[in-house]
Amino acid sequence: MDRLSNAVPVGEGLLTTPLSPAENVRINGSRCSECGEVMLGSYKSCANCGGESMQQIPLGKRGKVWTYTVIRHQPPGQYRGPKDPFVPFAEGLVELPEGIRVVSALDCDLEKVHIGMEVELVVYELYQNEQGQPVMAFKFKAV
Amino acid sequence: MREIVIIGAGIHRFGRFDDESYIQIGQEAARKALQDAGVAWKDIQSAYVSTQYLPSTVGPKILKPFGATGIPIMDMESACASGGSTLRQGMLSIASGAIDIALVLGVEKMPRGYMDPLQIYYPWQVDMGLSTNPSYWAMRARRHMHEYGTTEEHIAKIAFKNHKNSVHNPNAMYRKEFSMEQIQTSKLVCDPIRLLEICAPNEGAAAVVICAREAAQKYTSNPPITIAACVHTLAGYSADFRCPVDSLSAKVNNPGPTEVTSKKAYEMAGIGPQDVDCFEVQDTDAFCELEIYEQLGLCPFGEAGRLIDEGVTEIDGKHPVNMSGGLISKGEPVGASHLGQVYELVTQLRGNAGPRQVPNVRTALGQVLGASGNCAVTILKK
Ligand SMILES: [Zn+2]
Repeated sequence: MDRLSNAVPVGEGLLTTPLSPAENVRINGSRCSECGEVMLGSYKSCANCGGESMQQIPLGKRGKVWTYTVIRHQPPGQYRGPKDPFVPFAEGLVELPEGIRVVSALDCDLEKVHIGMEVELVVYELYQNEQGQPVMAFKFKAV
Repeated sequence: MREIVIIGAGIHRFGRFDDESYIQIGQEAARKALQDAGVAWKDIQSAYVSTQYLPSTVGPKILKPFGATGIPIMDMESACASGGSTLRQGMLSIASGAIDIALVLGVEKMPRGYMDPLQIYYPWQVDMGLSTNPSYWAMRARRHMHEYGTTEEHIAKIAFKNHKNSVHNPNAMYRKEFSMEQIQTSKLVCDPIRLLEICAPNEGAAAVVICAREAAQKYTSNPPITIAACVHTLAGYSADFRCPVDSLSAKVNNPGPTEVTSKKAYEMAGIGPQDVDCFEVQDTDAFCELEIYEQLGLCPFGEAGRLIDEGVTEIDGKHPVNMSGGLISKGEPVGASHLGQVYELVTQLRGNAGPRQVPNVRTALGQVLGASGNCAVTILKK
């Protein structure tokens, strides 16, 4: 049986459905029919122009790192990634073809991360929730 | 509109005070402001209290013990700009003619260690590990370095200046000078930002008594300080990249909140950046101060590094910034931080700042900026 058949997204409206197979899943965007701006996730109105005609679109899989840093200490709060031990990771803004830059963890060599680095979307199981459902998140991996 | 003046200012030192409640901390600043003005609590017609991390009805808990006079006492919050939005509300009530005199207090006692990220982030951002505040400062710094050739040394120089200035400020939490080497080898928090380049959340309070200019003589013998402008705005669409933002437009390039807010404030005060004698600004991290130089119009975009290289923002430079040592040295008790800036600027305008005094200050500006692009700029004039 497909173990992702009862998977849920880490944030409501953040990922396209179905969540299985994971390689077909994209990040959800909302495009404003009036001004063309694209926002991350699912919105009913446009923060740029106030328009109320929003269209759901899957965001592109490939992008480029616009800026980055390295998270060397475990983030505060209920971080669901590896904690024992914590594994440092790069974090960046990834510019996608739809004209949006998305904050994301970057899966890459910490010594080689740079602005302009080409990356590709990975949708993966971040953790299992209390109901035993796989919770799906996204990151971008160097290509 | 009625002109509004500051007739008294008070502060409770910023730091960590395990044996003092926020009530005691807030009362000390409020009492000092009232004493400085020579105004009795019973004369205050309304009080506005700025706080972010404290429980409900903080203002009444602090101020009602002075006398339950029945006046409205309101708590207000706008993230790091809380002090600015609260001061503005006090001013509006005087400007409207509803009252003549008000107390504006900022107070904070923040939890130790990391603040609960769920206060500002969505749960999914926290789950995914995207909730490290300094990482957002670091990503802005990295982009500025890429676009303009700003260096890690430029960032360290800001921290060096502010730590150096703090030595003379009895109200700062850290009053210690650090060498460039100590700063540049301090622990890396998020590349390229280091431990001695960021501010710590802490505790403290600051307060001012404000009134209508025409009423000032009735209340005080202090020379009144004019609030020439107090502007609070929120960043426009995609205009500000800082925590807890989850994305940014790659097409729209709106001016940043400090640029928009300071422009409005300059216009209201009828001056430009070159007319301001000294500044207190939001150095949450050292890079942030660099970026603010550009947004306040102290130099063209991309040239902030040159400004710090040339010493323009030193106490003896052309445009002194963060004479108090900034948030890097004072710490950031969020609700109190802007009123703490105002306290420093009043001290400078009165010529009482001792070794950190800027000569002949006639006009001074305070700026704060935080979550949701909340920004406030206040301009004071002698
Ligand atoms: Zn729109």
